[in-house]
Amino acid sequence: MSDALAGLGGSADAGELASPAPMPQESAAGATRSRFWARLRRNKVAMAGAVYLVLVVIAAIFAPLLTSHDETFATRFQDILFSPGEAGYVLGTDHVGRDILTRIFFGARYALIAGAEAVLVALVIGVPFGLAIGYFRGWADRIAMRFVEIVVAVPAVVMAMAIITGLGTGLTNAMLAIGLVFSMIITRLVRAEVFAAREEFYVDGARAAGASDRRVMWRHILPNVAPPLIVQTTLLFAQAVLAEAALSFLGIGADASQASWGRMLRDAELSIDRTIWPAIPPGIAIFLTVVAFNVFGDGLRDAFAREARGGRVGVGDVVPKERSAAAAPPWPSGSDDPLLSLRGLDIVFPKPGEGTDMTVVRDVNLDIGRGEVMALVGESGSGKTITGLSLMGLVPDPGQASAESIVLDGRELVGMDFNELRWIRGREIGIIFQEPSAALNPAYTVGRQVAEPLRVHLGMSKREARERAIELFAEVGIPDPHKRIDAFPHQFSGGMAQRVMIAMALSCEPKLLIADEPTTALDVTVQGQMLDLVGDLARSRGVSVLLITHDLGVVADLADRVAVMYAGEIVETGRLTDVFATPRHPYTEGLIAAIPRNEPRSGDLPTIPGVVPPPWEWPDRCHFADRCPYEAIECRRGPVELRQLGASLTRCERSHELELRGVQHASVVAIAGWEQPSDEPGSGGVMPGLPPGEGGPA
Amino acid sequence: MLRLLVSRVLAAIPLMLMVATLVFFLAQLNPVDPAATIMGDDADLESLAEKRAELGIDRPLVVQYWDWLNSAVVGDLGTNWFNGEEITTELRDRIPVTLSMVFGSLIVALAIGSAFGVLAALKAGRWPDRTITVASSLGLAVPNFWIGLVLAYYVGVKLQWLPAIWPTTRPDSLATWVEALILPCVALGISASAAIARQARSSMIGVLQRDYVRTALAKGLPVRRVVSRHAIRNAAIPVVTLAGFQTSALIGGSIFVEFVFNVPGLGRFGVDAILRQNMPALLGFVMVTAAVVVVVNIVLDLSYAWLNPKVRPE
Repeated sequence: MSDALAGLGGSADAGELASPAPMPQESAAGATRSRFWARLRRNKVAMAGAVYLVLVVIAAIFAPLLTSHDETFATRFQDILFSPGEAGYVLGTDHVGRDILTRIFFGARYALIAGAEAVLVALVIGVPFGLAIGYFRGWADRIAMRFVEIVVAVPAVVMAMAIITGLGTGLTNAMLAIGLVFSMIITRLVRAEVFAAREEFYVDGARAAGASDRRVMWRHILPNVAPPLIVQTTLLFAQAVLAEAALSFLGIGADASQASWGRMLRDAELSIDRTIWPAIPPGIAIFLTVVAFNVFGDGLRDAFAREARGGRVGVGDVVPKERSAAAAPPWPSGSDDPLLSLRGLDIVFPKPGEGTDMTVVRDVNLDIGRGEVMALVGESGSGKTITGLSLMGLVPDPGQASAESIVLDGRELVGMDFNELRWIRGREIGIIFQEPSAALNPAYTVGRQVAEPLRVHLGMSKREARERAIELFAEVGIPDPHKRIDAFPHQFSGGMAQRVMIAMALSCEPKLLIADEPTTALDVTVQGQMLDLVGDLARSRGVSVLLITHDLGVVADLADRVAVMYAGEIVETGRLTDVFATPRHPYTEGLIAAIPRNEPRSGDLPTIPGVVPPPWEWPDRCHFADRCPYEAIECRRGPVELRQLGASLTRCERSHELELRGVQHASVVAIAGWEQPSDEPGSGGVMPGLPPGEGGPA
Repeated sequence: MLRLLVSRVLAAIPLMLMVATLVFFLAQLNPVDPAATIMGDDADLESLAEKRAELGIDRPLVVQYWDWLNSAVVGDLGTNWFNGEEITTELRDRIPVTLSMVFGSLIVALAIGSAFGVLAALKAGRWPDRTITVASSLGLAVPNFWIGLVLAYYVGVKLQWLPAIWPTTRPDSLATWVEALILPCVALGISASAAIARQARSSMIGVLQRDYVRTALAKGLPVRRVVSRHAIRNAAIPVVTLAGFQTSALIGGSIFVEFVFNVPGLGRFGVDAILRQNMPALLGFVMVTAAVVVVVNIVLDLSYAWLNPKVRPE
């Protein structure tokens, strides 16, 4: 997906549209922990909640010292109700003359003890139970879940009341009952998390490595269950405080001698014909304590959840940019009248955790000729996907794109707002995404989704749009289009879903098709078919294609021209044949060398060591120097401009003196490129499709 | 859809049976003799034994259970130990009161909660979102019986705008009925609205980040259509789940609100039953609340199938 951001390793802003790249295990744990605390500390509301809770604990522990009265102390004047401030009672007294302030402090004890009792009971029962049934599944799980279902079929309070009937009333019994009911919630939560954790490869991996069940559970599953459990425990504590107050208010919790906040409210009701006041302090005490637990729990959740931000319909269009003073040399156009011409694209994102911006795409120029297939190639994190999205004004929030110009078929797109761009999206530019099953809306039939742009852009009637959608399905090779049109996305395989996406993207006869890693998520066996399909459809309709991929191999048979991106910049561009035969940039050479091909080779398959660094580590000089086998002193001087060399443009200080190795016949590699196993972007320091190795491309 | 309905109803029968069994035996754990509670402390052993025989609690538990179950299946929940009324009749009078309170609150909470939740999501990070987020986390923490007391005192007693307690005579017109319901519904519905708003916000935010929303945008649809067609329906699924939990929570919460406003609903009936160890009444109370929750969940299951094609039976 948004591979420009994948390198951020699951940072705040990558959360928008990108799936965070997995990080190496050991370093990730430490970094995650420190970031967790940093995020929690930054959350002012959660910290305020925590401070308040500390105060409640202090009040509870030191209640006898903080007050001059006893919790049940009554004035000599029974039945005299002092107002706040009167006779030295800061908060006044209740109807039998007990000091309200004193009782509030003592009430904190009851609230905390009661909450702790309930939560403890819930955890002691729920965690082992949930772990066990989640881990062993089978009949134990079925029986246990039936039981949980029975308990939660009755409202929690009602079930607690039934249990209290059996145990007898009183604060401890009441909280035991609440704890038993809560244990069902914990059981369910832990079980669900265990199920989720089991799906992860590491559990299977640990089992395959021969770890015992108990070890797997404690070492591998519990750490994953812990974050949601901690959050839920905090929130249940709040619920327990509320429940204590509620049951004591009804008279089946704390008894008359216990200054619980709920009991105070019950007493206050007796004098409500005279004044509401005695009900106010305990009510506020309950309210604030529950708020504090809730906001602290939410803070924990957010801190664990890597602050998922944003959420509005978060896309931005491209704003105009002044031509930079140090004007780059004029861009030699691939053709005289290109369909699309992009000049000076910059994209910035706020740096995660800080207020400053970082540039993820810098000064990108691109020309796509009519009917031409242009490949935009680079590793994950190079900025190619977001470059593609910017052409449609779909840069995900909070990214900011600016460009000197984007001219599509004579029309300037820069400066158009969301609604003006609507007539470009889907109509002039169609797009296919990497993950077809995620890109289709699960709630609607594929037919309706393909018909939608036809109705919106071309004003077709429902029936016309449906007929056209069936034709499109046939064109993209979906068997039985009449039937399949009424199926839902989950009833399609990945390859078929991608055909649906292609049908949708081409439905309004766009001039440009953006194919963003169209085969990466698909089975190896259908990758070739899919590329053939895109190529054939594009050629037969005269559609230009921007093919975004991390795999040079897949473009060999399809593309007319190539632009290679690295760390936010185009490092080399030219005709496919030229770039393959005589690469002008060491990065391109590395990409070519990494394509598996049918030729004898000895030793390890070549790779480029390392990964694309995250944007905030991009230097002012050559971005690739740190990974480059040809790096020399002049590479560290300053920014490198694109320059003409032979038929290509390249961004390398040493390109004129280097003899880089290419391949003579691009088609040699093409088939091999298709048959390599699909590679998840951002999966580590190897070139796409290759096993990790030490060898450099030289 | 009909098959789904039938299968859900069939699944509910053993569930209700298990609830009945669980509660019946749970409540028997208490060593206190109900006959002593009814007769008072000074009753002699003979009359206590007589009372026990009259109530039928001198028989073995299993027999009592079987007996109760047999009548319960045909709608006879037994006789109230304290006033001799039929439990079924008593419940029948009280159910409409509690349900109108619960569903009144739920519908308003769904409308208010979803609207504000979606608004907050669409304005994520800006002031409407912040306001709604703060308001909802405060709303979640307000004890309903406390806000009920405060409302009854200020709106009912001081301002005299609405009745502070339920009318002692049966409300004779719809207007008096609605008037009497307003304050209890407000007290009850605050936390449900807050919970629904939070859920609606977070699931909407989640959905707006999904790939298919980006696809919808890439098709050139207007924002309104992207939100109303592509986002809301998917975002509604967790909200519907929550509405199920909230119904259950509202029934539980109604117990306390009824206590404050002196509403003659199920809640007061249940609390009395517990305090006096009134077994038939307690069982009747639990079974009715469980039945309501089960019915609501069946309705929700059906709406899932509409919202999410994946769970639709083939």
